[in-house]
Amino acid sequence: MPALFYLLTIDVLFYIGAFVYAFNKKKLIGIQLGMNISQIMGGTAALLSGIVLISEFPFHFTVVTFISAVIGILAGTLFGLLFDYQTALTGVTNGFMMGLMSPMLGSIINTSSLVIWFVHVVFFSCLLFIMISIQRS
Amino acid sequence: MKPLLLIILLSSWNGVGGYRLYRVFKKKQVLFDDHFTLAACMAVTMLTSFLAGLYLILLFPDFYIIPLLSGLWIGWRFGAVLRSPALLSGLYNGAAGALTGTMLGAVLQNPALCRLPAEAAGMADLYSIPVAAACFYMCILASLRYSLRM
Repeated sequence: MPALFYLLTIDVLFYIGAFVYAFNKKKLIGIQLGMNISQIMGGTAALLSGIVLISEFPFHFTVVTFISAVIGILAGTLFGLLFDYQTALTGVTNGFMMGLMSPMLGSIINTSSLVIWFVHVVFFSCLLFIMISIQRS
Repeated sequence: MKPLLLIILLSSWNGVGGYRLYRVFKKKQVLFDDHFTLAACMAVTMLTSFLAGLYLILLFPDFYIIPLLSGLWIGWRFGAVLRSPALLSGLYNGAAGALTGTMLGAVLQNPALCRLPAEAAGMADLYSIPVAAACFYMCILASLRYSLRM
C-alpha cells in the first residue's frame, strides 16, 4: 500500500519545515522551550515511524525497531543541537525510548488505520502548539 | 541457557557503568545548576530504569512487581543525589522507563504477544535489541561524563 509512504513523505516535509522555522527563530527560544521542543520532536518522530513501518512490514520486528530508534535519535539530536548539549541529551534519550516502544504498540493494535490517523492528529497539534509558543516567546 | 548468560554479562557491564556515574554525581553534587540537574536526571534515570526492568524481567520472569520497584528506587536515588527539582522528575521517569522495559522483556520472552511468528523472528534476531540498548546506554553514560567536563 503506497499511501503510507506518501504519508511518511509528508511527515518528513513537515519535519524539515519545522526545523527550518526553529533554526530561524533560534535566538528567541529559551532553555525550557528548547527542551520541550527537542523531546516532543524526538518522541513523535520515533512514534510515527515505528507505527507506520510495523504496519507496513509486520514480519520484520527487529529491523523496524532499530530503524525507528535511529530515526528518534536523529530527530532528537538535530532539534536539541540547535540549543544546547544537555538539551540534545534529553532529546536523544526520549527518542530512543519511544523508538523501542512504538513497534510493540503498532503490532499489538487491531485497527491500525485509526491509530495512524490519531497519531498524526497528535503530531500536527503538537506542531501547532510549538509554533504558537515560539511566536509568543 | 545461552540468553541467560548474555543477559547476566550485559547487566553486570551496565550496572558497573551506572554505579560509577552515580559515584561521580555524588562527588560533584554542589557544582550543578538547575538546567543540568533536570536534563541529566531525565536522561540517566529513564535509560537506567529501562535497562534494569528489561534485565530483571528476563532473569526472573514470574515477578512482575520487581522491575517497577527497582525503577522507582533508581529514580529516587539519582533524584536524591541531584537535589530538589530532579527528585520528582526522577521518580516519574523511573516508573515510566521500568514499565517500558518490562513490556519489551515480556515481548522478547513470548513473541506471540505481538503476533510475531516464533520461527521467523529467531532468538538471535530478537536478542540483538538488548545488546544494542546496552551499547547505546554506555555511549550515553560517556557523553554525560563529557558534559560534566564542559
